[in-house]
Amino acid sequence: MSQKKNWLLFAATVVVVLLLSLLLNNIINRKAESQFAYQPQVNIDEHESRNEVWGENFPRQYQSFMRTRDTSFVSYLNGSAMRDALEEDPNLIVLWAGYGFSKDYNQPRGHAYAVTDIYNTLRTGGPTGPGTGPMPSTCWTCKSPDVPRLMNEIGIQEFYTGKWADIGAEITNPIGCADCHNPKTMSLQISRPALKEAFEAMGKDINDATHQEMRTLVCAQCHVEYYFNKKAPGGGSQYLTFPWKNGTRVEDMEAYYDSMNFSDWTHAISKTPMLKAQHPGYELFMTGVHAARGVSCADCHMPYKAEGGQKFTDHQIRSPLANVANSCQVCHRQEKDDLIEDVYQRQRRIKSTQNELEQLLVRAHVEAGKAWELGATEEQMKPILQDIRHAQWRWDYSVASHGGSFHSPVEVSRIVSTATRIAQEARIKLARLLSKLGHKGEVPFPDISTKEKAQKYVGLDMQKLEKEKEVFKENIIPKWLEEAKKRESQRDVEKVSMK
Amino acid sequence: MGFLRKILPPKEWQPVVAVLMGAIVALGLYTAKVANVTSYLSDDPRTCINCHVMTTEYITWQHSSHRGVATCNDCHVPHDNVFKKYAFKAKDGLYHATIYTLRAEPQAIIMHEAGQEAVQNNCIRCHKEQVTDAKSVSWVDSHLSDRLDRTCWECHRETPHGRVKSLTAVGYHVEPLPIKEQQELFVPEWLEKATESKKPTP
Repeated sequence: MSQKKNWLLFAATVVVVLLLSLLLNNIINRKAESQFAYQPQVNIDEHESRNEVWGENFPRQYQSFMRTRDTSFVSYLNGSAMRDALEEDPNLIVLWAGYGFSKDYNQPRGHAYAVTDIYNTLRTGGPTGPGTGPMPSTCWTCKSPDVPRLMNEIGIQEFYTGKWADIGAEITNPIGCADCHNPKTMSLQISRPALKEAFEAMGKDINDATHQEMRTLVCAQCHVEYYFNKKAPGGGSQYLTFPWKNGTRVEDMEAYYDSMNFSDWTHAISKTPMLKAQHPGYELFMTGVHAARGVSCADCHMPYKAEGGQKFTDHQIRSPLANVANSCQVCHRQEKDDLIEDVYQRQRRIKSTQNELEQLLVRAHVEAGKAWELGATEEQMKPILQDIRHAQWRWDYSVASHGGSFHSPVEVSRIVSTATRIAQEARIKLARLLSKLGHKGEVPFPDISTKEKAQKYVGLDMQKLEKEKEVFKENIIPKWLEEAKKRESQRDVEKVSMK
Repeated sequence: MGFLRKILPPKEWQPVVAVLMGAIVALGLYTAKVANVTSYLSDDPRTCINCHVMTTEYITWQHSSHRGVATCNDCHVPHDNVFKKYAFKAKDGLYHATIYTLRAEPQAIIMHEAGQEAVQNNCIRCHKEQVTDAKSVSWVDSHLSDRLDRTCWECHRETPHGRVKSLTAVGYHVEPLPIKEQQELFVPEWLEKATESKKPTP
């Protein structure tokens, strides 16, 4: 064996081992590199309520969410602009006489305004400090990702106990990321107890939902009919509850409320124990054709969008009519204008029947007021008030879900027809009663042609309410904001850095 | 046996050679393990993001309608026979590995001719019935070539990866892991605990 051959073998081995080591080193290096490529900027902790912290990792989603500040879109019924619903339809003031909604009711703006708008509405009044003001703390529940954070800190029951002003300094971030997303996986999740509890009441488990159903259910945490249960176990709280135990149809919820003798308020003119329908958007949507075909809220209200090479969900949650190309036209191959006209046509037709129903209801309230004036007894009024209660509940149910007349036109029409029949019943009974009480002819109808006149008629002192609001905005809100800023500045954000 | 005797070292040297050979083999095995080589035999799309340069392609695919029906290999390697499939995979894989190791990857990854041919054939493999018409074949001579010769993405330019595909086109994403692998429940733990006490007892 020659010496030369051995040296050659030695050199070859050196080369092989060297190359192998180099390759190994390269692989390990590049693996380390991929730990940092496409990595987050910050670690988002479980109860991070600041939307801008999430935005560090998800700039596209965050920026599109910020565009819910845009108020330029106006559609036939809603849009994203500030619209005074009482100005547009003063009848509402009489229908809600004695209730907060007669003071102030605007069409909703985007999610980014959730906290600003609840500061500003006259319905929350002008608290002068903790324990004051007309509204309970429960009113915050749907306004902010600070809510699950606070519920976790102080307890759910405790959150629902006390006045709206008590926890003002805790809640400052408008509806955002943590309301719907798991901070670790970004998967959708439920952050509010009421929806989970409502599912349990119906004997269902919300964890059985599919991903596509979750794209609707996260919205159903808020866009539903609800009430504040003052008789919840534990006592002392106004426990946010969805009345779904018997089902989610308008009749099911009506029976639920009747069985527990619940009323939101007593009408100032007719003394009816009233029900206020909130916004049964989810319940009505589920009865419509889009739901039947498996379409979710996000499919139309948060359609996909491409920016750079990335396709993502547009977080500018808004009317699909503002973005027909990405919403409707993904499935429907018609002209944009035709599609919009289809929507408006349904809405216009239903609106006209709702307007007629409103006229009946306003008159029923005024006539009931007249009957009381002429000395009607509770016994005589009871069946009439029950009819007014049911008719207005159903009317409210049909209008309060803003998209209802498009989401489910047939069901909404059905509801309006049943309500119209009941309202007529009430007025027939009233006519009989009034004649028995000796009243001849038509009951004089007040001039409620403008917001001012209608509010005066139902006995509201608007100047006082506005003054209180001014004082509140000047004295209390800056304090809340300052306190919140201090609290948040003490909360660290853990940066993910390359070190 | 003459050959074996020729390369085997003399008896007294055999232990030393065995140790040295063992060291080299171990180094090789470790390299293979770190590089996750067995994954390259599979069809799992996550294999393609063993290296981060394919993350953009992975994420854009995961946001497309193809994610539910076609994996990377369904489109990007030939499927006419199993030998061709693995030969193509090996050739393509070694090419990718070489370029990546040399740090020569381009900012925007574009398919080469062989890859284009494979993808085009795979488009046709699934969509043939949608793009051709059996009746027309009998009386239009050029029907098949009319319908199948042009690449599909000449028109369907966004399918499925979108049009912009540079290494920096996508941001931070948690998608590389399928959702249900990370999270079982839609109700977070704190809320589950907080509402547990109030559950109606059956």
